[in-house]
Amino acid sequence: MSAPRTYELVYIVSPDATDEQIAGIHTQVEQTTQKLGGTLVKTDNWGRRKLAYAIQHHKEGTYVLEVLEGGGELMKELDRRLKVVDQVIRHLIVRVDEEQRVVQRTQQHRQATQERRRVARGLPPRPDPSERPKVTDDDGVDGIDGMEV
Amino acid sequence: MAMGSKKSGNGRGRGGSSRGGERGAQGGQRRSLFRRRKVCKFCADKIDDINYKDVKLLASFVPERAKVLPRRISGTCALHQRKLRLAITRARVLALLPYLAD
Repeated sequence: MSAPRTYELVYIVSPDATDEQIAGIHTQVEQTTQKLGGTLVKTDNWGRRKLAYAIQHHKEGTYVLEVLEGGGELMKELDRRLKVVDQVIRHLIVRVDEEQRVVQRTQQHRQATQERRRVARGLPPRPDPSERPKVTDDDGVDGIDGMEV
Repeated sequence: MAMGSKKSGNGRGRGGSSRGGERGAQGGQRRSLFRRRKVCKFCADKIDDINYKDVKLLASFVPERAKVLPRRISGTCALHQRKLRLAITRARVLALLPYLAD
């Protein structure tokens, strides 16, 4: 339990909001995070995007992504606060650390397997850029097709 | 005339948008066209992380009707289809993808 959890928070700010208001929401998130012992890892403003469907009659919105570390209590509080802010028309909190770990493990495993196989074939563990690229599947087999029996 | 039944067909693309129409190349087969074996895109391209933010990728699995493209058409493996579904659901919450066709 002691290890910090990583969450991603994305919120959509109403297109009517000014840049200051967007910055204000960001500071609010930041302050809440600090107060509850979390850390803000990254912020990314995606800018204005068209929405796939209308939310509260808005056709577009400003997307902001925040990557946070902290506990469930913090997320609960953030969720509650974002619900209250009228300018935020939609938000989503997703926990990502577990998935990231799985992805990392898969990649490591694939890397290791590849290296082991290459060594078994008497090649250096890492592919050389000068090696010919892997043949991508089935298009080479067409020659058999016209065979008469 | 006996024809070999194993055959790599005439490159039917995945996605199923080109349903029917094509003739078998050599003619005379019982089923007029052989389907190309479908491969899970995520396994083939080694995409481990199916992310809800990757709208371009997800949109290719959400055809016009705005429903999730079924496995039997896309060829996605069960594991990746599950991850895909979750990612699409999340993207829908954020209005990155539609719930309904308009």
